[in-house]
Amino acid sequence: AAFGLYFPRKEYSENVYIDQPAGTPLLRIHALRDSHGEVAHFHLCQNLIISRARSHENHWFQIREKTGLLYLSKSLDREDFNMLSVGNWMPLSKVMLYVFLSSHPFQEKECDSATRTTVFLSLINATAPVCSSLTARQLCFTEMDLSFHIKENKPPGTFHQLQLPSVHHLCQNLSISYKLLAAEGMPFRYNESTTGVSVTQRLDREERERYELIAKCTVREGFREMQVEVPFLVNVLDEDDSPPFLPNGTDTADAVVEFNRKEGTVLATLTVYDADTTPIYPLESSRKKYTGTIITDDPWISETFQVEHIFDEIHFSPNGSQVRGTRHEYKLVLNRSISVTDHRSFQLDVLVNDTEFHGPERSVMLHFNVSILPVSIQFPNMTYQFSVNRNAERFAQIGKICVENCMKFRGVNITYKLLSPNISCYPVSILQGREDKYGSLYVNDSSVLRRPECKEIQYTIQATDKQSRKHTKTLLTIVLEGTLLKKEEDCPDSCAVSKHHAECEECGGLGVLTGRCQWRQGSGKGITTNYSTCTPSIKTCPDGTCDVIESKDPAVCPQDCTSGNIIGGHGKGTGNLGIKSGHGICYCFPKKNCYCEKDDITEQLCDDVCKTVI
Amino acid sequence: LAGPPSPPGQDPHGWRVPVDCVRANELCAGEPSCSSRYRTLRQCLAGRDRNTMLANKECQAALEVLQESPLYDCRCKRGMKKELQCLQIYWSIHLGLTEGEEFYEASPYEPVTSRLSDIFRLASIFSGMDPAANSKSNHCLDAAKACNLNDNCKRLRSGYISTCSKEISATEHCSRRKCHKALRQFFDRVPSEYTYRLLFCSCKDQACAERRRQTIVPSCSYEDKEKPNCLDLRNTCRTDHLCRSRLADFHTNCQASFQSLTSCPGDNYQACLGSYAGLIGFDMTPNYVDASTTSITISPWCSCKGSGNMEEECEKFLRDFTENPCLRNAIQAFGNGTDVNLSP
Repeated sequence: AAFGLYFPRKEYSENVYIDQPAGTPLLRIHALRDSHGEVAHFHLCQNLIISRARSHENHWFQIREKTGLLYLSKSLDREDFNMLSVGNWMPLSKVMLYVFLSSHPFQEKECDSATRTTVFLSLINATAPVCSSLTARQLCFTEMDLSFHIKENKPPGTFHQLQLPSVHHLCQNLSISYKLLAAEGMPFRYNESTTGVSVTQRLDREERERYELIAKCTVREGFREMQVEVPFLVNVLDEDDSPPFLPNGTDTADAVVEFNRKEGTVLATLTVYDADTTPIYPLESSRKKYTGTIITDDPWISETFQVEHIFDEIHFSPNGSQVRGTRHEYKLVLNRSISVTDHRSFQLDVLVNDTEFHGPERSVMLHFNVSILPVSIQFPNMTYQFSVNRNAERFAQIGKICVENCMKFRGVNITYKLLSPNISCYPVSILQGREDKYGSLYVNDSSVLRRPECKEIQYTIQATDKQSRKHTKTLLTIVLEGTLLKKEEDCPDSCAVSKHHAECEECGGLGVLTGRCQWRQGSGKGITTNYSTCTPSIKTCPDGTCDVIESKDPAVCPQDCTSGNIIGGHGKGTGNLGIKSGHGICYCFPKKNCYCEKDDITEQLCDDVCKTVI
Repeated sequence: LAGPPSPPGQDPHGWRVPVDCVRANELCAGEPSCSSRYRTLRQCLAGRDRNTMLANKECQAALEVLQESPLYDCRCKRGMKKELQCLQIYWSIHLGLTEGEEFYEASPYEPVTSRLSDIFRLASIFSGMDPAANSKSNHCLDAAKACNLNDNCKRLRSGYISTCSKEISATEHCSRRKCHKALRQFFDRVPSEYTYRLLFCSCKDQACAERRRQTIVPSCSYEDKEKPNCLDLRNTCRTDHLCRSRLADFHTNCQASFQSLTSCPGDNYQACLGSYAGLIGFDMTPNYVDASTTSITISPWCSCKGSGNMEEECEKFLRDFTENPCLRNAIQAFGNGTDVNLSP
């Protein structure tokens, strides 16, 4: 790599006080190497950045190019402090400095290198404290957590100094010593004479990605002794050093295309593991790093299929400790809908490539055994026969017409058509059901039902696949039955208008099957999907969906289809259509409001007095 | 109509009191040198990163001149007229000044000077009772009742509730965009005496805590099919001037500090709660993660799964919500009806 050196910390912090003398050391910055023989050079950006205030040129701070020691080159007096805090609204003034790193001596004093760390200096509006006023915590550590990151597979080196240069300079007559606890068996060493902490060997993230140690500090002042312990954390940074592998060696999956032929259908999934982490942020670059390509020179295959790659984080436990890894999933997806006539079988290979891994086993081959089966468009071996009551009204639902397996179809569009008979009796029509899977038969002209000469009517139904134009036919017999009832007068068009059991069943309305509306008795508990209501047919209304026939006329089933106001306790259905749940009895005036209310006026029982009067 | 532009005011300490950025923009437009430099800078920033921008001498000169103009110090007010325009002006300058990749960004909003005690005083006038009085009562229910007795609060609350619970289709549970907009209106236009009581009511039982969790209709405004990575979410938020500003405000006012007794910057609970409420209705919408009465855990809808080498940074970002002593203390102080007593 071009820039191998790196900082083991993103941020450093220290306090600066008024009138601290020039030459005061502030803090020590370390760098770690990528390869042996690299020498670190530190450089300070000559710009002080102050949050929400203008930046200033740096006149006060310098860094030793070789050792990384940041020190005061000029003392900050009160005037400097005031200037630096103008416009800064924070209760505490903080200035920010960038420190850059290079393996060569710095030529130009520029502020643009990718490898940099940030130093936060808190400007304390007071002179430096006397050592006796500082707590052990303040004498030993800064406020910032002792948290570091070390790249895996890199040479060992010193990455931190526990002693605080500023405190060491200020409180020379105090004895402050450090220890690193819980370090036995861990690849870290503490050097007592320099208080430096180093990593002693190359680390492997796939073995362990987090080390938790404790830094202990002891302050001695005469006979007094104080101790502080703080966590000392090391995170191991990952690089792409593991090849992809197959769980249980599975590299083959069956992909069958039959009833579901729709574009976007996932046919099969194969999984590839990798011990490395894959950041989901930014997503696109990670996708590019781990590719999955269909290996084919058949244009039909490359147009019809695509591979979808998703990945997520999983955990491996190589030796008791948990480390993060990645599960990559490659899904074979239909890129376009496949015709019902297509019939092919072949093996489709997908090459998975871990592009950033530099080893021989950077790729694996996945195999999908694809079988595309044809689907025949035919009616089940029978003719349809439906009976229709002569009292049925317009939009009464008679039944459903379906070619074989039609409800399993996805991506197959079937059109149903009635070929008209030669006679004048022609009471029914057909409408396409949802997603063009089935056809719904309904009464289109109720006056035909009443004509005595119409008794049994024969139709031919034709089902056609839209894409292939393949079609099939069957016979449909409609038998008219029942005797004509006398029509009640003053009945509304719509069953949904009736709000009482009795008036409901006395009347008919659009969509009724036998000339009379049906009453659904609800449970009567609060706002429920099982509310009481009057409907042309309990089977289809209300069932929570506004089907093609119901949507032909708002009077058929407003309970499923209304988009108007609903007054009273209720819940609306999907897409804001219909009454999903209601309180008490729900009734509707088509194209106007619906009402859901409790029927509190219970019919009074006729008691003895009443009977006498009668 | 307007008189000649007046110079920015001075506060008693002799510091320049910032004008708002819309006003600063007007002042700048009146000066030919300022307005031409500002135009230059905006062109410099369009579609370029900071380093390439600063490499250009003309851009650098423009930035230096603008540092002396009122635009440089300008701020915005929460819920002000033309808030978005103000923030656009603010970031057009500040994106050139900061790296744009800082972990914490400074808030473009004016500091909050009012205190929680102001709210308690008003709240008790409204409700006619001491908020801490009855330990048995359900404070969250009381807050809803208090809101319903106020026409404005009631209207905007029922507005967002009906928008957020309106089912669009079988696959689309609700319109998140509209729900967020309605929530923003509620928190921008209803006084905090009402909104804080709903958001931060204290609870002794689960039913109350569940009501508190449900305040923002989380099924629509908060939860989603998948949890994005928090850094990814932060990135999305930062592409939007409003979301970016509210997040920066949250970081400025709720960042846990060792320097203060309450862990809050300047011991200002009100400022922290205000910037928390300011995040609701954006990509970074925070909420209570459960209906626990004993511990309060807040989080945006994201996790640190899949962070790769940025896990430490991601955890740090998330902890400012989930394990933030300032935010927790502020919420508890509000629930208990206590504020820090500050000597003037």
